[in-house]
Amino acid sequence: CTNGQTGCHVLSLANLFDRVIQHSARMHGISSDLHSEFEQYFLPSKNQIGRVGRSCHTSTILTPNGKENAQRMAREELTEVILKLLVAWRDPLWHFHQSMAHHHDFNNFSSNKALEMNDMVHELRKGVEKVAEKMQVLGIISNSVSSLASPEVSLSSDSADKRLMKDYDLLYCFRRDSNKVQNYLKILKCRIVPDHGC
Amino acid sequence: LFFTTHATGKRYGPPEKPALTRCRSPEKETFTCWWEPGSDGGLPTTHALYYRKESSETVYECPDYHTAGENSCFFNKNDTSIWVNYNITVVATNALGRAFSDPVDIDVVYIVKPNPPEKLMVTVMEDKGWPFLRVSWEPPHKADTRSGWITLIYELRVKLEEENDWEMHLAGQQKMFNIFSLRSGGKYLVEVRCKPDHGFWSEWSSTSYIKVPDYFHREKSVWIL
Repeated sequence: CTNGQTGCHVLSLANLFDRVIQHSARMHGISSDLHSEFEQYFLPSKNQIGRVGRSCHTSTILTPNGKENAQRMAREELTEVILKLLVAWRDPLWHFHQSMAHHHDFNNFSSNKALEMNDMVHELRKGVEKVAEKMQVLGIISNSVSSLASPEVSLSSDSADKRLMKDYDLLYCFRRDSNKVQNYLKILKCRIVPDHGC
Repeated sequence: LFFTTHATGKRYGPPEKPALTRCRSPEKETFTCWWEPGSDGGLPTTHALYYRKESSETVYECPDYHTAGENSCFFNKNDTSIWVNYNITVVATNALGRAFSDPVDIDVVYIVKPNPPEKLMVTVMEDKGWPFLRVSWEPPHKADTRSGWITLIYELRVKLEEENDWEMHLAGQQKMFNIFSLRSGGKYLVEVRCKPDHGFWSEWSSTSYIKVPDYFHREKSVWIL
């Protein structure tokens, strides 16, 4: 939307936040659905799954795991954490979708959901980047959000490991990370535009 | 292994296995787990709760057995992390042995059940001569909705005193709701409850009673005139 175009109204920051929050909620919803579907599928060996020392490939990204930690973080840092998480899921979700498409044990329904998640993580990242740019333009955050400048470099490329991550574990991890993203976006929104539904 | 005393014929033994029954967080910042002891084997038996956090080998004992009452363990803000799995086990011990509960894995994000909404208010308002009920409430004071840490949606239920069935209304994130089409002179009961994004419904709030004025007679008399 370039300046001065007719019929092109600029969304307020609060509206932008609401959009990405809604989007992240949908994304988390889909990952939860797919996760429970897998859980049913794996139910006979569920206990075993619980015991496996699950490690998410995003565990190297330091994320606040409580309210006060999240609130203590600078806006720039919190924005960066959100973007890092989203960037980190780009490749694994694409591989996951590929593997689902070739997996005969799962129906089209699940495979479509995998594709949808793959698309959503892209769109959400673009959305959050827009929010971050807007915050920079408005002087709310400094220009030091590094994931914005070169979003691809922030994840170390250990793609062999990523591919080895089992589909169930992947869903488990993505469900958690998409919940984090949703929660951090809400915290950020309520700090920046507290009068809009907080 | 059981021992029998001659005098009473009472059998002593190791304790039975306890069961972790429930874990709940009211606001995503603290949580409590409860257990049910098995039989004590006729001997004084103690229970201890142990937990290990995901990707850590260290086993900790429950930080607080008192705050949440008997057979419970309370985790305060400092002991609570979210998006981290807690592997929890309860151990019963007496002079003749020990018994372990089945372990339970929890992530605090998924065990949130808030307290009921508070300060429920119902007032009769009027719109073009017709009354309606304006219901308003506040989130449970423990849940920090202002910071965005927890988001609650609300549901109301309304019924006429003499009726059996409740009428349900989903209010979304609003903290106010209007109810129309009331029965003239009817006495209504209103309750509200709340639920976080990925958790459980709270219990219903305390009931608010309200009587709708007799507006039908007024309308009728106008009609006759």
